[in-house]
Amino acid sequence: MLKISNLQLSIGDTKILDDISLTVRPGEHVGIIGPNGSGKTTLFNCISGFLTPQSGKIIFCNKDLLKLAPHNRALHGVGRVFQNFGIFREMTVLENVVAAIETKKMSGIFPWSKSYQRHVSQAQEFLAEVGLGDKADKKAGTLSGGQMRLLEISRALAFGAEMFMLDEPTAGVSPKMKGEVESLLTKLSRLNKTVLIIEHDMNFIQRLCGRIIVMDTGKIILDDTPENVRINPQLQEIYFGTINNDAHNGNQKGQA
Amino acid sequence: MGQLDYINHLLILLCIYLILAQSFNFAFGLGGLFNLAHIAAYALGAYCTAILSTDYDKSFFYCLGVSAVIAAFFSLLLGAIAIRLSQEYFAVGTLAFSAIVSSFLINWKSLTHGVLGIPNIPRPVIGQIDFYQNSNFLALLVGLTALIMFLFYLLFYGRFARDLKAQAENPYATMAIGKSVSSIRNDAFIISSVFASIGGSIFSYYLNYIDPSSFTLAEMVFVMSIVVLGKPGSFWGTIWATTFLVLLPEPLRFVQINASILGPMRQLLYAVILFLVVYYKRATIFPQKREV
Repeated sequence: MLKISNLQLSIGDTKILDDISLTVRPGEHVGIIGPNGSGKTTLFNCISGFLTPQSGKIIFCNKDLLKLAPHNRALHGVGRVFQNFGIFREMTVLENVVAAIETKKMSGIFPWSKSYQRHVSQAQEFLAEVGLGDKADKKAGTLSGGQMRLLEISRALAFGAEMFMLDEPTAGVSPKMKGEVESLLTKLSRLNKTVLIIEHDMNFIQRLCGRIIVMDTGKIILDDTPENVRINPQLQEIYFGTINNDAHNGNQKGQA
Repeated sequence: MGQLDYINHLLILLCIYLILAQSFNFAFGLGGLFNLAHIAAYALGAYCTAILSTDYDKSFFYCLGVSAVIAAFFSLLLGAIAIRLSQEYFAVGTLAFSAIVSSFLINWKSLTHGVLGIPNIPRPVIGQIDFYQNSNFLALLVGLTALIMFLFYLLFYGRFARDLKAQAENPYATMAIGKSVSSIRNDAFIISSVFASIGGSIFSYYLNYIDPSSFTLAEMVFVMSIVVLGKPGSFWGTIWATTFLVLLPEPLRFVQINASILGPMRQLLYAVILFLVVYYKRATIFPQKREV
């Protein structure tokens, strides 16, 4: 379970995260939406350990994450999928996954060692599952946006993450590949993995998440089901500004 | 110098530069650690061996071992400060360390004999075999270099290389798969410095005399030229580039040019090669770092 309490992060006088508190149950899929600059990625960076909040607590699986270095948080099961594709482009697709497997299970020093060969076959299985089996020997940088995203998620899976934090997983992904990313994320649900998704595509997020958190100016302003969030006037206000209903109606009358 | 002696000399130089360049390539080419203190580790190895073998009459393996430990200690110390710096600042930090070492070599006269250097460094004797003859010394060096290259081969094609490349390209993604970037960098820095110090030890045994002029930034530029020409991160590339650049100025010896011009001409040649390769291959030598 992830429990965040009273998280505060300021840069100068600007509050980037303002008293954020939330609880995510194991296996839950939660969508996080909000306009640019609302603090969504900053929240992920605080959980991952790339930013240190001034106050607050982040407890994941009974462990205080703020006391752990970023790599130790990952070892504790916190997985991260980056907005700008966190893959190693200069490595092959296979090496990307092998590198993740090797974190917990040491490969032998020789490239021909049995443990290394075992990790290679495990990596090939992960890649085959997401349809990247035939790309194993290609440089990861040559993949399409959607394939990069699949690789990044399957790498986190191979690494053994329990919680996946995905920052705009459909950004730079073609509509066809979006479907593949979505089915992989649905699979995470079957594996009882906790998923937090930052996303702007409401339809995508509604299909995957049973709960949506809306952030604005560093605060959580809504935390509800996708259906309720969608019809909430506060959301309309955040994205489109205050709607002057009288003027709106008057305009419609005029047009009629 | 006879023909055989000349060939032996070239091969010995080749072996020394192979160790020096491959160890630099390991940290810089794979890990993006632009370590300008590499030559300082080389100097530490050379001076440590020179002092231990002349003043204390210590054996070959003892000198090599102590030189490696001292280089590891200093790189650990320097690493604790510099390893967290970004690429440009890391280069400046290590350059500063190199300048400090250079200053010590010149000014700590009671230990290093200052600019006069340390003469009469004896060639190694292992058991009943002495290595006073260049051909014997070459045999020892070829064996040692082959062993070191084999170790580097394992490092270049193994798990550590993947970690090193990963952190160079995307440190955040590396941490996100549970790897400590600072540990990886520290380890690479130490391994690289240890082998550079071994190169320095061999250098002092070979020349029988060392002084601070052998460990200047010009030497570092030469090592950089090798790695950049061979493509940073390429194990085999560094081997061919070392061979090419060590042998490249040799034909100049047979050209009737004044010796005072010949020396600067070599430096100029390396600088031109370095400039051209950096200009045309800048995207691969200094790839763009990715941020979250």
